[in-house]
Formats: sequence, C-alpha cells, structure tokens
Amino acid sequence: MEMAPGRIATWAAWAVIVFLQLPVLVVVLAAFSTTSYLTIPPQGWTLAWFAKVLSDPAWLAAIRMSLFLAFGATAIALALGTAAAYAIARRMVPGADALTALVMAPLVMPSVVIGVALLQFYALTGLRGSIFGLLMAHVVITVPYIIRAALTSLAGLDGALEEAARVLGATGPEAFRLVTLPLIRPGLVAGALFAFITSLDNVPVTIFLISARQTTLPVLIFSSVEMGVDPSVAAISTLLIIATGGILLLAERRFGFHRFI
Amino acid sequence: MKRHGIALAGPLALVLAAFFLAPALLTLPTGFREYVPGQGITAGSWTLDAYRDIVSDDFYREVLWRTLGLGLAVTVICLLLGYPLAWMIARGPARLRMPLLLLVIFPMMLNLVVRSFGWIALLANRGLINNLLTDLGLIATPVKMMFNLTGMLVGLVHIYLPFMVLMLVAAIQNVPRDVEAAAMTLGSTRRHVFLAITLPLTAPGILAGSILVFVLTISALVTPRMLGGPTYRVMATLIYDEYMQMLDWPTGSALAFVLTAIALAIIWAANRVARRWSGMGAVT
Amino acid sequence: MSRLAFERVGKSFGTTEVVRDVSLSVAEGEFAALLGPSGCGKTTLLRMVAGLVAPSTGRVLIGAQDVTALSPDKRGVGLVFQSYALFPHLTVFENVAFGLRRQRVSGAALSERVEAALAMVRLPGLAARRPSELSGGQQQRVAIARAIAPRPRVLLFDEPLSNLDAQLRDEMQIELKRLQRSLGITTLFVTHDQSEALSMADRVCVMAHGVVQQFDTPEAVYHRPATAFVAGFIGRPNRLAGRIAADGRIDLGGGVLLAAGEAGAPGTAVEAIIRQEAISIAGDGDGLPGTIVLRAFNGARVQYVVRLAEGVELVAETASSGSQAGLEPGTPVRLAIAPGAVFALPAA
Repeated sequence: MEMAPGRIATWAAWAVIVFLQLPVLVVVLAAFSTTSYLTIPPQGWTLAWFAKVLSDPAWLAAIRMSLFLAFGATAIALALGTAAAYAIARRMVPGADALTALVMAPLVMPSVVIGVALLQFYALTGLRGSIFGLLMAHVVITVPYIIRAALTSLAGLDGALEEAARVLGATGPEAFRLVTLPLIRPGLVAGALFAFITSLDNVPVTIFLISARQTTLPVLIFSSVEMGVDPSVAAISTLLIIATGGILLLAERRFGFHRFI
Repeated sequence: MKRHGIALAGPLALVLAAFFLAPALLTLPTGFREYVPGQGITAGSWTLDAYRDIVSDDFYREVLWRTLGLGLAVTVICLLLGYPLAWMIARGPARLRMPLLLLVIFPMMLNLVVRSFGWIALLANRGLINNLLTDLGLIATPVKMMFNLTGMLVGLVHIYLPFMVLMLVAAIQNVPRDVEAAAMTLGSTRRHVFLAITLPLTAPGILAGSILVFVLTISALVTPRMLGGPTYRVMATLIYDEYMQMLDWPTGSALAFVLTAIALAIIWAANRVARRWSGMGAVT
Repeated sequence: MSRLAFERVGKSFGTTEVVRDVSLSVAEGEFAALLGPSGCGKTTLLRMVAGLVAPSTGRVLIGAQDVTALSPDKRGVGLVFQSYALFPHLTVFENVAFGLRRQRVSGAALSERVEAALAMVRLPGLAARRPSELSGGQQQRVAIARAIAPRPRVLLFDEPLSNLDAQLRDEMQIELKRLQRSLGITTLFVTHDQSEALSMADRVCVMAHGVVQQFDTPEAVYHRPATAFVAGFIGRPNRLAGRIAADGRIDLGGGVLLAAGEAGAPGTAVEAIIRQEAISIAGDGDGLPGTIVLRAFNGARVQYVVRLAEGVELVAETASSGSQAGLEPGTPVRLAIAPGAVFALPAA
C-alpha cells in the first residue's frame, strides 16, 4: 500500500489550487468586462480598456522603464554574478564563505529596509531619482538569484571536465567558454528568468527611489490602485499575466524550468 | 589562482559594497538622531528617542505585535493549506504532478501588485464577492473584507503559499518510501505512518518553509499596503510612512533596524535547529 | 614520445605530505604503472605531469624540457580520467576533435584524425552520438581516443578501468596494452589493482605513504619485493605472527616451523607473509602436515583453509581442475611451501 493522498487531502489540494488562481481569473475577467466593477456574470465584453491603456503615454513610459530596468539589471547581474559564483565555487578567492553571505544577503534583508537604506544613501550622494541608482538597486536585488543558480549548476559539474579541456590544450578562458558555460547555461537561464521577473515585480525597493517623472509599471499600478480601482489596471495586469504565463510555459518546454525552482 | 579569483569576484563585491553594504550601515546611525517635526533631523545631536518610542509608545507596540501575529497566522494557514497540496504533488498521480506544479509556480511568478489587485477586485465593498452575495439576497449591506485583518490575511496567504508548497514538496519527496513501507509491514495504519514517520521526517522542510513564509510576511510592504490600506498598518508600511510621509527618518531607521534584527534572529535560530536535526538525520 | 622524469618531487597540502621526495624516470615509449593503496600519492604524482597539481618541491621533466611551471594546455600530454570526463554537451566526434581543434587542425585533416583515433580504439560509426547514449565501455574508448588524438608526448591514465565490470576490464587491459605498444607513447598508468599493474606495465612503481617503495619489472616486484610493504601488498598473502627460531626458520607456534628466504636474527618477532598461490597441496610427502577446515570454490581456483596446529591456519589455493581440487573438510594434507615465497617482516 502506498501513502497516496486520500479523498479529503485530494479535495483540499484542488481547493487550494483554485484559491491560488482566483485573483488571476478575476483580473482577466475584469479586463474584458464593460462595467468598471466586476459582476458575475459580466454584463458585457469589451477590449476598450486595453486600447485605453496602450494609448496612454504614462502607462507606455512605465512599461518601457520596467523593461529597461529588468533587461539592464539582469544583464549586469548575470555578468557579475556568474563571474563571482565561478570564483566562489572553484575556491579561487579568500573568504569565499563571507563573500557568499554578502551576495546572498539582499535576499535575507527585508526589501523595505534595502529601499530606505538606498533612499538615504542616494539622498546623500545625489543619486536619488537617477536611472543609474535605480539600475544598481535592481542589480543588488536580482544578483542573489543568479548566484544561487550558478552555484547550484557549478556544484553539479564534474571538476574533471574543465581539467580535461585544459589538458587537451584549452586555455582557462577557453575551457570555461567551451565546456563549463554550455553546461551551466540552463541553470543560468533559469536564474536570469528569476532575476528578470524579480526586477519587473519589484515595488518595495523601487518606490523609494523613483522620481515623479519616471516610474515603473508595478509602482504605477500600485499608485493607481491607491487612487481607486480602474479597469485599465485590470487590462495592464492581464497583459502581465499573459506575458508571465507565456514565459513560464516556454521555459518549462525548453528546459524543464520547475527543476530550478 | 587568487589573482584570477579577485578579478572575477571583485566587481560584484564592489557593487554590493557600494550599493548594499554601505547604505545599510549608513542607515543605522540615523536611528539615533533627533527628529523635530517640521524641521527634520537636527544636526549634531544623538538620542535614543526613536528606539524608546518603539518600545514604550502603544501605537508602535501594537503595530509590532500585529506584524508578528500576522506573520504567525499566515505561516500556520500556509502550512495547513500547503501540506495537502504538496502531498498531492509529491505522491499523487504522476500525470498531475507537472500541471499542478506549474499552477503553483504561475501565481508565484506573477506580479505581486497584480495579485493584490485581484484580491481587491474580489474583496472590496463593491467587489465581486459582495456583489454576488447582495445579488443573491444573502446580505443587505456589503461585508467589510478589506482594510482589515481578513483582507491582509487572505492576500498574504495567497502570496506566500506557493513558497511553502514548494518547500514541502521537496521535503515529502525526500522521505524514503522504504521507511514508510517498513512501518506498514510492522503493522502501522496509514494515519499512524503519517504521524509517526512522514510528519517527523518532513519536519526540516516544514521548518524551512515556515521560516521563509514568516520572514517574508513580516517584511511585506505591497500587499499590506494595498489590502490593509493607509490605516491598518504593519512594520513595513509604517517604515514607508515614516520615511515618505512623516519624513521622520530616525523613527523609520529604528523600525527598519528592529525589523531586520527580528528577521535575522529568526533565520539564525532556525539554522541552529536545522543543524541539530541534520545531525539526527544522519542515520537515513 | 619522450622520457618522463620526476626529480626530487614533493607535495604538501597544508601540513599533510602526500608525496615525499620522489625521483623516478620512465623511459621513452615505456609503459609504467603507479600502484598503491588509495591515498598513497599516486594520483597526485600523475596530476603533476598533467599540470593539474603544482609540486611543492622538485621538478617534472618531459623529454629534456622542464615542465614544472608550464600550464596544462602547453604540456602536450593525454589524460584519461577515472570518470572519463567526456564533454556531455558534445558529440563523440567533437569530444575527440577537442584537442585537435586547439592545435588548429581543421577540415579534412581533422575528420581524418578523429576517425583514425576512433578506429584505434575500435569504435567506428558512433561519431554522431552523445556520450550519454554510449555504454560504459564505449565511453571509456572515447576517452582514450580523445586523449591519443592530439598525439601527446606522454599518455596518462588515472584508474581508467575501475568503473568497468570484471569481464570488460580484463578485455580492456589487453587492448590498452596492445594500443600502447603500437603507439609507442610513454605511458603512466595509475591503479590500485595489482593484477592490472602487473599484467600491463613494463615496469611497476609501488608507492605507499607518498614514498616510492620499488620501481622494477612486474616479475621483480612480485618475486623479489624490495620492502616489507611491497611483500605484503603484492600477491594474496597469508599473514601470521611468528618468531625467528635458532635455526633461522620461522616459528609460527604449535610446533610449526617454516623456512624463509631471508629471516633475521633469532628471537625477533616477525610477521610471516606466505602467498596463497605459492603453497602446493599434496595428499602425502614431505611438506607441513595439516587438515582441511574449509573449502571454497570460485571458478578457476579452489581455496582451502588448512589448519597446521591449534591457532595456526593458512589459506592455500589450487586450480579447480587439478587432482587436489575436490578435498573435503577433515582431509589430512601436506603443504609444500617454497622458501622464496615466504617473507619475514619485522612485527609491527
């Protein structure tokens, strides 16, 4: 006899799954519904909210800003994080444990604390409201995901592979490029995806650092909701839901994303 | 080797020193400055006022206890809701494993603000649930489910439940089936096997998941702000208000320090417990 | 093809000395085996040749060149790893071509040399596969082909056969030896398996505790062990506690006296090492009298536990097809032991 879930556990599990999808369904329904407040069944269907959002310069600017930050921070974190993780994994630096603790610390610190710390620091150094400051903040909060993914991938790698490449005449950088990098790539892609989504998602750090003129998509949604619920928020949220779902399915198809969670 | 290592790890270490370590350390002294309403921080004076306020002022104490209570409640609810689902994913039909896992990961990956917005659309006075209940004639006036404990609990459980489920799935998958089978051949009922074997063996996963959820909950800003509103406050929203609205940085810094200290202390304590457990688990 | 030499090489990790003052010279084209128990420093020595470990003291020479400070990619050696270390993301062809591409070999010359290397290890037609699609034995052959394709000056093997099953291992031993002969590349082969070392190598270097115990032909190592360690490590020895008697024989107690090649001063406590395979069993005759206690059949050989006296028991073995193969427990026998197969070591 197996310890398979019984009938009650199965029902509970399905109920929790429904609970998890509930707000997603509601947001999507609201985005296509004609009334500004959602009713069941909806009183009519429309694409007007999407049109409204996609023609509003404020939303478009926020989308651009968010994408710029997410791509920029992920690229920088990927480059710096992979290099550092390699040095840590191969024990090439003194105090590798302390370094690991430092690079993973932004994950442990409450985000809001990182936010206020950077707010004070930027106020002091004149970086407040600058895109550079914002980009660096996003590097700090995304780099732990890259480090974690890279360290896990490197730990699973036979150290003899790189040695084999070296003995066969490859220089150190060649051995990394030809052997190590291709083998840790799936892990790095998963880590980069996490980093990208983390950057795209972030409010608690970003909200302290943005200027009145530049804002990111989640911060704009956040402040719009504080003003009152508006179906254009549902429309922009639906676009985010579709994008996230699409990326997740693609990542799962391509390299079994769930293995890296 | 060492030279290459420093060249590789140096850039990141510098970025983190400049944009994480230095700011965090610079924030610490702010908590000991004097704040004069309307003027801000006065130069040159040092005081323990901010910390004294947090300890003695009823309002701050209430927020602190509310935050910790909320963290505990969310953790327990996540555990209770998460275990059956994790069990189903780990031990249920193999064909359901992947779809279920993706249905857990999907909301986790989804924008936090979007998810909280979804709950607003459901729970607001003119939200879906109240509309539905009114239309069905079950209630005359809307039930208040937002800007109070209910809304915050629902929203936070929804946000952090996936983390718990993933931790528990890993823990349940690590329980050797042979051990359960052995207990059954020794005459245990299913209930007894679960209570005597499976539950204790998944304890490290339960601990890890609980710590994660607790620490994330007490640090949460967005969901408490959106579903708790400007009045029903927790530590993180209070820090936000002190810094952005009251401009009382000393109190904000002191609150940030207390929040960080609690989070780090809990993680540290959990690590110690986990280490003791892993020593015990060496037999398996 | 070059001579390989270690000159007073030492290596310490922290306070642990894993290799101590090793001087060794492998002749051009020679097949040398490094044999010893795990942790004896043999793999460290091999990795020094490849440049994967830097010696703390001393020099490593390939031909006339001092390679001690040279990085691995500039040494021109071939190394077959215990884990094979095949690149899992590359095809068999690209694995074998890896070293050649580093030498800027390309086009027709490249595929010609890859195919030649694969033919050498008798693995044609699998070039397009991934390593994960091959059996353990096939992976082993790819690893060898990859090492020999760039025509290295020295070929290194790090316990390459330890992951194969017994039958395949015997097959590969012969094939590797034949391959080494036809290539004529100076070879260093690390193993902890004495039959592997004895059957394949021109010379065997026995190591223990980071020190070379003996470096000689397999016959010499087997028949004329230079140190107590070698005597106890090679062959399948019985180990019995004893004392040197007045006439120079070893007194094992219970009235059993055994002639030894070299004994020592009378009265010394010793450990007597008697190889199982050097004991011949007869129904009668001159040898030591004893009684069969236990019989164990293992295919080609039959092993007997023979009691010579109370508390003195020996394991002897004989061919399972021989006339003495069917003795039952309780049978009285005579054991003939050649004095040259008995070694008296100072008791520990």
